[in-house]
Amino acid sequence: MVQISTDAKLFEDLEAVLGDRARSGDFELGLYGKDGSVLQGKPAIVCLPLDTEEVRQIVSICRAHDRPFLARGSGTGLAGGAVPVGDPVIIATAKMNKILEVDLDDRIAWVEPGVLNLDLSKELSPLGFHFAPDPSSQQVCSIGGNVANNSGGPHCLAYGVTSAHVVAIEVVLPDGNLALLGDLTAEPRGYDLRGLFVGSEGTMGVATKVAVRLTPNPPAVRTLLLDFADVRDGAATVSAIIAAGLIPAALEMMDKRAIEIVEAFVNAGYPTEADAVLLVELDGLPGGVEHGVDVVRTVAARHEVGNIRVAADNAERELLWKGRKNAFGAVARIKPDYYLHDTVVPRGKLVEVLEKVYNIADAYDLIAVNVFHAGDGNLHPILAYDSNEPGVLERVHAAGRAIVTASIEAGGVLSGEHGIGLEKRDYMGMLFSAHDMATQDLIREAFDPQGFANPLKVLPSGSRCSDSFHQHVPEGAWV
Amino acid sequence: MMKTKLDLGIPHSDLASCVSCGLCLPHCPTYRVTQEESASPRGRIALMKHAADTGFIDEEFVEFMDACIQCRGCETACPAGVEFGSMMETTREALATQTSYQRWWRRVGYRTLGWPNFLAFGSRVLSVLQLVRVLPKKLGLPQIPLVQRKLLSSGNDVFLFTGCIMDAWMRETHRAVQRVVEATGNGVQFPSKAAACCGALHVHAGLGDEARRLAQRTMAAFPGEAPILVDSAGCGAQLKSYGHLLETKEAKQFAERVLDVHEWLADHINELPQKPEKSGRVAVQDPCHLRHVQKSHQSVYEVLGRYIEAVPLDDEGLCCGAGGAYSAFHPDTAADVRDRKLASIERTGAPVVASANPGCLLHLRSAGLEVRHPLEIVDSLIAKDV
Ligand SMILES: Cc1cc2nc3c(=O)[nH]c(=O)nc-3n(C[C@H](O)[C@H](O)[C@H](O)COP(=O)(O)OP(=O)(O)OC[C@H]3O[C@@H](n4cnc5c(N)ncnc54)[C@H](O)[C@@H]3O)c2cc1C
Ligand code: SF4
Ligand code: SF4
Repeated sequence: MVQISTDAKLFEDLEAVLGDRARSGDFELGLYGKDGSVLQGKPAIVCLPLDTEEVRQIVSICRAHDRPFLARGSGTGLAGGAVPVGDPVIIATAKMNKILEVDLDDRIAWVEPGVLNLDLSKELSPLGFHFAPDPSSQQVCSIGGNVANNSGGPHCLAYGVTSAHVVAIEVVLPDGNLALLGDLTAEPRGYDLRGLFVGSEGTMGVATKVAVRLTPNPPAVRTLLLDFADVRDGAATVSAIIAAGLIPAALEMMDKRAIEIVEAFVNAGYPTEADAVLLVELDGLPGGVEHGVDVVRTVAARHEVGNIRVAADNAERELLWKGRKNAFGAVARIKPDYYLHDTVVPRGKLVEVLEKVYNIADAYDLIAVNVFHAGDGNLHPILAYDSNEPGVLERVHAAGRAIVTASIEAGGVLSGEHGIGLEKRDYMGMLFSAHDMATQDLIREAFDPQGFANPLKVLPSGSRCSDSFHQHVPEGAWV
Repeated sequence: MMKTKLDLGIPHSDLASCVSCGLCLPHCPTYRVTQEESASPRGRIALMKHAADTGFIDEEFVEFMDACIQCRGCETACPAGVEFGSMMETTREALATQTSYQRWWRRVGYRTLGWPNFLAFGSRVLSVLQLVRVLPKKLGLPQIPLVQRKLLSSGNDVFLFTGCIMDAWMRETHRAVQRVVEATGNGVQFPSKAAACCGALHVHAGLGDEARRLAQRTMAAFPGEAPILVDSAGCGAQLKSYGHLLETKEAKQFAERVLDVHEWLADHINELPQKPEKSGRVAVQDPCHLRHVQKSHQSVYEVLGRYIEAVPLDDEGLCCGAGGAYSAFHPDTAADVRDRKLASIERTGAPVVASANPGCLLHLRSAGLEVRHPLEIVDSLIAKDV
């Protein structure tokens, strides 16, 4: 376990800036030790700043005390990115939750990092716009977290992930200086540092303001639920829809177990007897959408589709999505813990890798649940387990490694959207050569030579050996 | 900070059922207004876990637990089916029995709720004070009647539960409810004074023994098998939970007879008088104990919707901050929470608000809104000749 050394002088300095928004209570510190993953750590101090200037001062104070820091959004990350290791000061952005400016002419909004993803879209909705990236956690995840993880969501199939919707970012750099990365013009001047920051998981500084792109709400939307008696037909339909030249707004798949647990939560009429379902959404101009519906029907008919349900109204559509978006949490209905992978495989290999996932789970006596962004081949195999069973964690890790191996062998990658964080860090070597990783470390060092920003994350130990913070995931971090 | 021993008494498996996904956070009123992890359902569960693991708590822990409104919005939002309400009740009971959490004056205050004569007397004193205008308006008290006309039974088809504070301060609402129920052709019976208080506030405060005593007394006041209708969402939720509270067969059977009055009316909707057209719009506030606990808020829309356009709010049932005695003990948080509700009500553009829970009704009224019980609205529309 990480040792707790609440440096009194450090706390005093932070308190001078933040007053009672600097915290060191034993109970409270524990609350900032966890995110949506299974990892757990404990921070030294928690800070709850209100604006950029306070963040800047916190970072400067940390620097003066040689203490690492860690930005935290809503703590829903699934890779341990916001889990403190190395005794950092946590900079929680939750109170920085203002929408600062909405510019309909340029179709841009400036927001603070703690604004919740869905709150932003709801606020924009009366104006006819929304923020397109819609992670399943969108009701609670923060824009800062979305930027740091370059998060995706069901509708990113057609609209692109976060990076495509972030124009500029105000950042407090690890040395305490303020920088504006990117600008509002179409072509960036010089290197695209904004692009570098998006997806950097808090290792290049703290985002304090974000300029996001506004996407117009589509004039027409159709949502279809297709059920299949064989998961293979479902997967084949996914490839066939894309091959037919159609890019749906969303194309999601759930297997039998996922359907069962989701239905138990939402009562939306998901077909619990089916082997798999596809949730397909088409949007755009009414004529194009109806044409798309026809294409989906024809293609699916060629692949033994069972029933096709078309949502009659917005309420039915929202209910179906509510089911899909709550799937991870609902896994707790079968087992209290889950470990989630996030690999991407070529669409054509979906069936093959899915079958391997089931076999691996069987071999390690675990339950696998699959609910994922089928349209872009982004698998989310969930291993459900009970951490009270002796020896189960070893099996979960071994099975996880086997799943990652199978995905990479099929030509895939390690993470589609959840990031590397702490949890997937030691898998990096399976995908990248030592040289690749050393190069990535050089980029990180350009932003953060001392390794103060979210230490011990993303890159495995020894990428560039000298760094004092680089060490293995502490044993006690696993719960 | 001082550490105190505490045996929390929540099974490990219940605490472990939370996977810390955070999906409940935006549905928690206290998280919404503070953005503090310690004021969130996920945070509160983690705190309970910590207390259970170590066997110790400190003052901070008590403060964090006391700040929960017990609205149970987090339960509706939680895909994992975490039973937050009962974990919080167990925590409060552990605090009340093992620490100095509920001071003696608070305990006495709660106890008087079960003494109808005392309540009536106290209310008369308040009423006089109101009449001579020495009570500040911002206390948010309704105009308390100086003289109370007795409620008269009209048959024995259904019981109407009358409760403590509501009967002392808002008896006219019971009378309106009685008239609406009678309009379906059914006779209404009132229980004896033994059914003086349902015990909901006691459970929330952790005073489990007192609540169980009140439950026994209340049950005895409803002989026979007639349905027991309740026009206060908080009391209804509590009466429905007697099976769980007392764990006896008798209590389970009793609980099955309990219905929110709107639920019962929705089942008898065609027996209610018809009106040629709907008149006006009303914004509907869903009380948490109707929406998140009884899960029967739709029936209010069905009944109201027969006579008037019933407009839902756009906040997915986020709590209004009343929370039984909460708004009295945490006035600042309660007011911040209420501000969100007021904004949501304003977006409907409706001139009047309907609330099926007296606590919410008074809390919203004290912000200057016109708030009425749904069945008072229905009663006046039925009476109107069109
Ligand atoms: C039920 C559930 C469903 C999910 N579904 C999806 C999905 O469909 N798609 C998807 O992509 N993800 C999904 N996620 C993962 C997660 O919600 C996203 O990664 C989200 O973007 C994290 O946001 P957060 O605010 O919770 O960030 P946190 O978890 O708090 O932090 C995540 C990372 O971002 C960094 N960070 C946070 N704020 C800042 C900032 N201001 N500046 C710099 N760094 C910062 C942190 O240091 C950390 O490394 C899901 C999670 C859950 C629990
Ligand atoms: S209570 Fe439920 S919704 Fe909230 S964090 Fe725990 S599992 Fe998730
Ligand atoms: S009961 Fe209400 S106030 Fe308490 S944690 Fe749940 S949502 Fe928040």
